[in-house]
Amino acid sequence: MKKSLTLIGLLLVFAFGLMILGGCAEKQAVVKDEPAQEQKVAPTQAPAAPVADDEAARRAKEQADREAALRAQAARDAAAKRNAAALADLNIQNIYFDFDKSSIRPDAREILKANAEIFTKNSAAKITVEGHCDERGTAEYNMALGERRAQEVKQYLVNLGVDAGRIETVSYGEERPADQGHTEEAWAQNRRAQFLLK
Amino acid sequence: MKNKIFIFLISLWTALSMVCLSDIAQAKVYIDIDAPGFQQFPIAVCDFQNNKTGTPPSDDEGVVLADHIRRLLDLSGIFNILDKKSFLDGVESQTPEVIRFSDWSVIGADFLLRGDLAFGAEGLRAASRLYDVTRGQTLFQKTYAYKTGDLRAAARAVASDVLVALTGDEGDFNTQIAFVIKKDARSDIHTLSYDAADLKNLTGHQSIVTSPRWSPDGQYLAFTSYKNGRPEVYLRSLKTGKERKVAAFRGLNLCGSFSPDSRKLLLTLSKDDNEEIYSLDIETLALQRLTRSYAIDVSPAWSPDGRKIAFVSNRSGSPQIFVMDADGNNVRRVTYEGNYNTSPSWSPRGGRIAYEGLINRKYQIFSVDEEGNNLIQLTFDDADNEYPSWSPSGRQIVFSSQRGSKSRISIMNANGLNVRVLREGREQMVMPSWSPRLK
Repeated sequence: MKKSLTLIGLLLVFAFGLMILGGCAEKQAVVKDEPAQEQKVAPTQAPAAPVADDEAARRAKEQADREAALRAQAARDAAAKRNAAALADLNIQNIYFDFDKSSIRPDAREILKANAEIFTKNSAAKITVEGHCDERGTAEYNMALGERRAQEVKQYLVNLGVDAGRIETVSYGEERPADQGHTEEAWAQNRRAQFLLK
Repeated sequence: MKNKIFIFLISLWTALSMVCLSDIAQAKVYIDIDAPGFQQFPIAVCDFQNNKTGTPPSDDEGVVLADHIRRLLDLSGIFNILDKKSFLDGVESQTPEVIRFSDWSVIGADFLLRGDLAFGAEGLRAASRLYDVTRGQTLFQKTYAYKTGDLRAAARAVASDVLVALTGDEGDFNTQIAFVIKKDARSDIHTLSYDAADLKNLTGHQSIVTSPRWSPDGQYLAFTSYKNGRPEVYLRSLKTGKERKVAAFRGLNLCGSFSPDSRKLLLTLSKDDNEEIYSLDIETLALQRLTRSYAIDVSPAWSPDGRKIAFVSNRSGSPQIFVMDADGNNVRRVTYEGNYNTSPSWSPRGGRIAYEGLINRKYQIFSVDEEGNNLIQLTFDDADNEYPSWSPSGRQIVFSSQRGSKSRISIMNANGLNVRVLREGREQMVMPSWSPRLK
């Protein structure tokens, strides 16, 4: 059965081959190397004004608008910087985990209590809890474990009175190590939850 | 039966991509290369002789083609390629009518591949013949027409036919391997052809990109990307290069693996408060939840018959491999040795699951049958060997290794023997995924 099927297959193939004799089909490239294009928003161009006077007035106004926008942006940047600096000065500490664990260690409880106080005082700021893992083990499992760590921390903070609606979590798995080394010390530094205030 | 149809389709494609000018073939499967006592086929591959009647060829194209064929056959892991230096004087230029098989059996060859090249207006014609040295038989004789310069494609066609003639299966020559290269905090998916040529960066997201998975029909590559600051799942059309976001729920969105019919994609999502496995219809984006456990459930892999799904869960306290029915019922644990077993990959021939496990403080590749019996350790060196993925033939496994800051993508036979390094470097290379046979 096996043999005859194969033979029939081959015969068909050869018949087909003869049919297209002389016409050498092109080999297909399987992976087209065209990068997916991000949609880019083209800078909007103002249509050319038909009258010269209008043109001059329009340019002056445009210039004024641009300067105003720049000043506003600079003010926002400065405010954001002051805010970021203020938040950075808050001394929000990371907490660390044991290998393949997402439970909050006793030494992390005090740190979370201090962090919760800071978060409560800065009640306008949004909090992002990042869960991280060390490089050992599988990237996918570590992404899940990092998510678990971030969720455990979120729950702990909520229990300490921080509004759940302010807290977002994100797992980076083993992809964003704090220490690039491949030692026990580096791994201990990398199994962490990190906090971002905005 | 399915296999036969598949081989037939592949042969049909082969016929489409090149013109068969003359054929004598005995598709005879006479050596079981999966038998325990299997010895590699000793084969002599002669340089192809240049035929001077056409356009004058550059001198060494016959040598280059033969070298490509030797490298491919060597990569398949089932051949012992005899050194050209061991050939007796003058035997390479013997005409097919006067081949003395004793000249080949005396140097230990069981099989002999010879060929001629001719260059015409339409391109290159490679005539190749495979002989069974011990029986003095011609196993196949076939002429391939190619555009001049496409020697790699010609070599893949010849090597596939050699494998079909000896084993009944065309092997893995027309495949690619997708994997992740990490640089600092960024990573991107790259592809590499089976002979380790043609490295291409596929994604270029300037972000974290992980978990490449091919659809079995070769149409799509699915993966996880942090392009928008958090893990979401994308589907990239390999034909057009267009990418489509298919999962962006709250929390984790991790890419799993495709169903055998390429219609569904398994995912890990945490949208229902903890990490569960879902099946996503890639047309309608309809979701079906498959696991219900407070534990982490991740890394799902579909069985080749579509009936079962292997996955990783820490529901018993440490990450272990489990198998469930495709509808999520009948969950049973597969691995019991060790306390860290992850990255399941199902053999395309069914039956066995390859995975990585922690043993003596190193990650090594294992394989086990789906009932959890017949456990075999496949890698033993002092590197961390991870992320096994089977070749379409089911005879080979690709995996990545890290030793300190050095990184490798390697392939081995399914029994762990004959490890061959495809790529080595200081940049970190992980998560290799073997493509289906591509057109």
